[in-house]
Amino acid sequence: MLSPMSSLAGNDPAAAAGIPDSPLAGPFPVGEYSAKLREKLRSFVHVQLLGEMVNLRVARARVYFELRDAGGAIPCAVWRRDWEKMLERSGETPTEGMQVVVAGGCDYYPGSATSSPGFSFSVEDLRIAGAGDLLARIDRLRKQLYGEGLLENQKLLSRPLLPATIGVVTGETGKARDDLLAALTRRGWAGRLVWAFAPVQDRHAAPMITRALGDLAAIEQVEVVIVARGGGSLADLLCFCDETLCRTVALLSVPVIASVGHHTDRTLLDDVAAVSCSTPTHAAEAAVGIDCSRARREQAAAARRLTEHAGRALSVRSKQVGLATRLRDHGRRAVLGRARRLALLSRAPSAHLERQRVTLHQQLREIRAGSRRRIGSERSITGTRALVLSRKSASTIVDCRERRPRELEQLGLALAGHDPQRTLERGYALATNAAGEPISTAEQAKRLADLSLRFADGTVRARVSE
Amino acid sequence: MSVDEGAPQAEQLTYEAAAGRVEEIIRRLDSGEASLDETLALVSEGKRLIEQCARELAAVGNALEELKLDELVARLEQEAGGAGQ
Repeated sequence: MLSPMSSLAGNDPAAAAGIPDSPLAGPFPVGEYSAKLREKLRSFVHVQLLGEMVNLRVARARVYFELRDAGGAIPCAVWRRDWEKMLERSGETPTEGMQVVVAGGCDYYPGSATSSPGFSFSVEDLRIAGAGDLLARIDRLRKQLYGEGLLENQKLLSRPLLPATIGVVTGETGKARDDLLAALTRRGWAGRLVWAFAPVQDRHAAPMITRALGDLAAIEQVEVVIVARGGGSLADLLCFCDETLCRTVALLSVPVIASVGHHTDRTLLDDVAAVSCSTPTHAAEAAVGIDCSRARREQAAAARRLTEHAGRALSVRSKQVGLATRLRDHGRRAVLGRARRLALLSRAPSAHLERQRVTLHQQLREIRAGSRRRIGSERSITGTRALVLSRKSASTIVDCRERRPRELEQLGLALAGHDPQRTLERGYALATNAAGEPISTAEQAKRLADLSLRFADGTVRARVSE
Repeated sequence: MSVDEGAPQAEQLTYEAAAGRVEEIIRRLDSGEASLDETLALVSEGKRLIEQCARELAAVGNALEELKLDELVARLEQEAGGAGQ
């Protein structure tokens, strides 16, 4: 039986008075009421409940979880020692998402001035009933989305290798935010990061995540969106299996990278998204396709290599230009030399003629001088000779006039002494043959039939006889 | 066949394609098979591609800018309002 608060009117007259004109009884002290409430709840008949085990949490003295189905949920609690006995009896450990049957009754912790009250279903026994209905429902939804082709839409989108703006949907205070930021920084990426904070755990998270995704996708500058959340139980991640969220993501034109939970966790968002990642590092690598720091180093190295090749090529080109210049110079010099030579040759005949003319003139002058000298000399000699001749002539004239007639007469006389005529005149005859040749021997005369005999006054023919 | 045959224009290349083309160019140059004229053409093309890649990297390499979605929306609305006036 509750005592009305009027008994405490001395302490707080305003509170003790209650609400004027209220038809309800009271006010009663809350401690008394809560104690009566616990008593009443504990008097409820004990029953067995069937539901999905979610949010399982093992504390030092108690084990807590929720039992859910599509119609509602009940928080459950069990003493740690009873929990372990149940596990020992069943031979298996219930986990998140399992369909379980629990036996027990309602309980209520009334709290105190320093502690909060709480309702729970006090579990006295537990049995695993089979695969969780939530998981089965998720699986059905996955198959339905697959059948509609919605699991492929995001995967067909082209993702920029180097996005300038990245949108991120995550909890504002979660560790995933820091992890993702660190991973992007390690990647050397320093673009624009747009945070769309949203609750990522409770039952109301899905619509807010969906709205944040839609808002980010509506901004043209956002090239890729990451949905990030750390690990958790299946119940924690159930919001990422929301049908509306998944259908929305499937229809977005911006690629969505899911980084929800750990490697073993698989939500529907992982199936719908363009890429499913298990860690923030993986998500950063998926969002930024290249390691920017390494790419910058590689670019610098490539630029150096190109510069080296360019330097070598330009050096070769320079040498070629130098050779061409030298060849051109050689050619020019050769042409000039040839031209000079031709000019020289063209001038050569006249020069030669000039030289020859000079030479001839010189020779002519020399000849003339020589002639003059010779003429003078010869004239002198001739004069001398003329003088001599004149002298000799004078002498000869004297000779001719006086001596030569005498000599001529003597010679005539000498010659006449040898004249055969004179011999013939003295009575001799000259015997000759028919040819007129002298016959000087008798033997010659015997061999002739006839011969001629020349006398001083004439010739007669004579016959030879013995 | 020389490596430059069929080379697409730099403006058409994505970062990945441009970076790949630069690697291809360097391999060709390192092979020593390129003629002088081809070498000079490849070097010119490679430098142009590297500049393109560098521009893209510079856009995400200056300083990380963190914005909340509301801040970005407000900024974009302000820019749109300024442009409309």
